[in-house]
Amino acid sequence: MAEKSNDPAVIWQTMIGEMEKGFNTFANQAMTSPEFSRVMNQVGGVSAGVQKQLAELMEKYLSSMNLPSRAQMVGIGERLQIIESQLNEITALLRQNNIGGGRDDQPLTPRPPRTKQPPSSGGGSA
Amino acid sequence: MSAAPGIDLQAIPDRIRTEVQRAIQRSIKGVKYLSTSGPSLGSTPKDVLAVRGTMNLYHYRPIAKEVYRVPVLIVMATTNRGYILDMVPGMSLIEFLLKRGYDVYMLDWTAPRPEEKSLGMEDYVLDFIPDCIRRVQRDSGETDVSVIGYCFGGVLSLLYGSIFNDGPMKNLVCFTTPIDFREMKLFHNFSDRRYFDVDRLVDSVGNVPPEMILTSFEMLRPASRTASQVQLWDNIWNDEFVKSYRMFDRWATDTLPLAGEYFRAITKDLMWDNKLHNDAMSVGGRAADIRNINVPILHAVAEHDHIVPYDAAKPLIQKVGSTDKEEVVLKGGHVSLVAGANAVKRLWPKIDSWLGVRST
Repeated sequence: MAEKSNDPAVIWQTMIGEMEKGFNTFANQAMTSPEFSRVMNQVGGVSAGVQKQLAELMEKYLSSMNLPSRAQMVGIGERLQIIESQLNEITALLRQNNIGGGRDDQPLTPRPPRTKQPPSSGGGSA
Repeated sequence: MSAAPGIDLQAIPDRIRTEVQRAIQRSIKGVKYLSTSGPSLGSTPKDVLAVRGTMNLYHYRPIAKEVYRVPVLIVMATTNRGYILDMVPGMSLIEFLLKRGYDVYMLDWTAPRPEEKSLGMEDYVLDFIPDCIRRVQRDSGETDVSVIGYCFGGVLSLLYGSIFNDGPMKNLVCFTTPIDFREMKLFHNFSDRRYFDVDRLVDSVGNVPPEMILTSFEMLRPASRTASQVQLWDNIWNDEFVKSYRMFDRWATDTLPLAGEYFRAITKDLMWDNKLHNDAMSVGGRAADIRNINVPILHAVAEHDHIVPYDAAKPLIQKVGSTDKEEVVLKGGHVSLVAGANAVKRLWPKIDSWLGVRST
């Protein structure tokens, strides 16, 4: 076997790792300056404003085309998730009724006893 | 002609053969990678106990024959999804805790809807967490509840514990929880009050978009995404590597938006005024001084955490009023502390040994 220090694959991986570390360190140093913060926030502020205006424009366009926007589709997706969750709750309640004969003090699913002791005190199982 | 020292000429054909095989595998598996989705995550069986807008409370179905008396509520960070703690069987903290006999609940978050932009810190600390605690009490039949908070979930748990310091929280475990926000140097600089107009941002966008959150995380290590993609290509022949890469990459990019008012409070109270560290924090007009916390507390921090550096997390144990308190510094980073092979070896057994004796 070739020594690890001479293995091209190992050399390549080490080089990538070192480049990553070096670039991150260099960038982190640059990013701690107030000047960086000023420029970043100027650009970010403009970009957020432009994005917002673009999104509003796009929404108007989609509305005029009688099409839903991405935000509306995400909203529908989330509402579907809520419906699924409510179905889960209904299913759990039905299960509860089957297990506990409809009594409120019964848990949703059969539960193990709350008697476990830590291993050092001689009781309990993993 | 002689070989350079350290080079075994006889091994070269084997090495070439291996590399050619890997190159072929890269092409085949590269196509497969693009045409398939990753492993299914967060699949430990659970019941949804409550959904209220962004708040989701799950109960994981117990798998041990007997469980500890005190149930555990995990409070997830508001920027990310809870399935980081429930990746796949064998790589799931939830599954580990269930096997060790804990009754596990999780407060997880979904993206706040546009109309939830007015949710503030008080909604999270004085409403969502107490509501979940009450539901856990009702569901488990127990008064005491242990709380585990991850990253900003730890901050919310601390704020909750400092206000409701007469119970019912019995134990508190925090993972990588920042206290001194000045020590999160890059985030602190990104949000420099002289240049970052948080009011303008929140007033114009409502909820802070996930892309912005993700970009600010990625800027902490700007070369890492490219380097990890090079590593993926190098190792795409290795199914285990690819599976792990997909799990973590999917989670890391699955960032949640933050409710506008909540983000405004984080920026002003924590990033700018460092109120948690300066013992000046209040939530909804109620003082939230972490020196009031007196329950047993464990704080697990990572040696190489680039998001919450050790100096930002260190004051937690120094400040809390508890007499039973412990800080443990483990190898790893912000994510590898809680998930992956490193966590399986280091953090998980530590949680079990610490929490087990305090859960009866």
